[in-house]
Amino acid sequence: MIQTIDLYKDYRVGKVSVPALRGIDLKIENGEFIAIAGPSGSGKTTLMNIIGCLDVPTKGTVMLDSTNIGQLTSKEKAVLRKKEIGFVFQTFNLIPVLTAYENVEIPLILLNIPPEERKDRVIAILREVSLGEHINRKPNEMSGGQQQRVAIARALIKNPSMVLADEPTANLDSATAKEILSLMKELNKKLKTTFIFSTHDTLVIDFAERVVYLRDGKIAGEQRK
Amino acid sequence: MKIINLAWRNVFRHTRRTIITAVAISVGLAAMIYLDTMMNGVDKMASRNIIDFETSHLEIFARGYYKEENFYSLDTIIENPNFVIDELSKVRGIAVVTPRIKFQSRISNGIDELLVLGIGIDIEKEKEVFETAKSLVKGNYLKGEDDILIGEHLAKDMNLEVGSYLTVITRDRNGTYNAYDFTVAGLINTGHPLFDRNAVIMSIKTVQPLLAMQGSVTELCIKIKNENKIVSLKEEIANKVGSAYEVFTYKELSASIFEISGLKRTVQFLLALVVVIIAAVGIVNTMLMAVMERIPEIGTLKAMGFSNNDIVKMFVYEGGIIGIFGSFVGCVLGFLLSLHLSTYGLDLSSRFESINIAYPIKFIIKGSINYITIVNVFIFGIAVSLLVMFWPVRKATKLEPVEALRYV
Repeated sequence: MIQTIDLYKDYRVGKVSVPALRGIDLKIENGEFIAIAGPSGSGKTTLMNIIGCLDVPTKGTVMLDSTNIGQLTSKEKAVLRKKEIGFVFQTFNLIPVLTAYENVEIPLILLNIPPEERKDRVIAILREVSLGEHINRKPNEMSGGQQQRVAIARALIKNPSMVLADEPTANLDSATAKEILSLMKELNKKLKTTFIFSTHDTLVIDFAERVVYLRDGKIAGEQRK
Repeated sequence: MKIINLAWRNVFRHTRRTIITAVAISVGLAAMIYLDTMMNGVDKMASRNIIDFETSHLEIFARGYYKEENFYSLDTIIENPNFVIDELSKVRGIAVVTPRIKFQSRISNGIDELLVLGIGIDIEKEKEVFETAKSLVKGNYLKGEDDILIGEHLAKDMNLEVGSYLTVITRDRNGTYNAYDFTVAGLINTGHPLFDRNAVIMSIKTVQPLLAMQGSVTELCIKIKNENKIVSLKEEIANKVGSAYEVFTYKELSASIFEISGLKRTVQFLLALVVVIIAAVGIVNTMLMAVMERIPEIGTLKAMGFSNNDIVKMFVYEGGIIGIFGSFVGCVLGFLLSLHLSTYGLDLSSRFESINIAYPIKFIIKGSINYITIVNVFIFGIAVSLLVMFWPVRKATKLEPVEALRYV
């Protein structure tokens, strides 16, 4: 379970302080498939980054199960990200010099998984995302949809408790976007991994089971399906 | 797939850039090795020439003869060389001993006069200690008492040929002027400027009456069997011959030459340092570029759980790979160039023929490879490559993942 309590975040731009989040109270249960929607500048990405232990709030608390992540050192946060959090980015962010297989393998190397087990798991998850035949391709030899599948496999390979996807479909055409979303939903059902999206794409909002609308750094509304 | 593999792939993202950076290191290190080989060769040649023509390994003088500021005075000489030679025959490790008389003189071809150093030698023994006979380029070695050997350059300066007459004018021990007419028997070319331009060599049997020093000599030149034992032998000889005599090694006798050699080393080191700094700037530049163009990627890696340590490793490996590659190529290149220099030499004679330098070498410089230098240079190259990684690595680790991800 993820819980944010009275979360504030200000950015300093020169000498001016710009508020990005202004008191967010949000509870996300394990296994949810949730979209955080809102126009650009509403604080979606900031909220995602704070939940993903990439950024720290100015004020407020984030609880990950019983851990208060505000009290973790940057090293401990790196460990938490390594074990519990998978990221999917708008721009895919695969490592260009590595093949699909190697990109997906990185998280397991960081967790010191033995090579034989790594191999089995990487091949299995790449099959899961329908990339079994392209495991030796480099990112620049794949389409956007294929790259995002690799990114999803990379996020899921370590069996994280949650996957954070920041506008995962923004660089994809709608047919591919639909495919990717179906895939994520399927994996969500199968693996019980929490999926949190940020988006302003109606397609993603349609797919989500719960949508939280942000506006000017505050929760403006919520919708459950 | 480990971090080192990732680093390896990263190195070949920009093959051309990597190669240019590595080549800069290679050229710097190769230059260091080549310079060292050259300097080593020059030093060895200088030592060799001093030993082979001027001093042999050790020289014995009567105490007080050898003073830096008062060369070739005939006041303090070895009156009884046979006694000393007898004593020396009891010392193990000595190969041969030969006497010499050095004296200040003027030579005249009938028109011009020149101040030179006269050297009286034992014609037969000389051959066993010095290379004088082997350096003959024209004519014959000394046979009779009227024969004289002169340097090729000196002959040119004085318009002399083999067979020409030459008068040696000097003052004997008592201060009386004396002159003797010699016939030029042969011309020598030693590579040692003293012998090629400023000295004449004749039989000690002629020189002794000329200087009124019958039976005595100014010095005894000792060739030893093992050069490494020179210092201990010097002590042993000094004890044997007693306090009426002094013993010097060739290094002590040519201290100024070896001082110059030390200075050359410093200059060489500074030159090499400049070259290496240039190469190091190349690495820093390349690696900073690598960090800058991969900022979002570094953010991604950090988001995935790469610790700063892992990021440091990745970049240090990258710099290390370039450094090892550059250093290896540099050492091989430096070795090959040095091999050429030590085999064929570098001929500078056409440029320097007319210059009289005081450094006792020929103008064909032969290198002498020092393998320890090559190993040191290799280690040095890698160490510098790793050391300068400090800046790029600091840049990469200071990046916050959020900012790095946002950076486009």
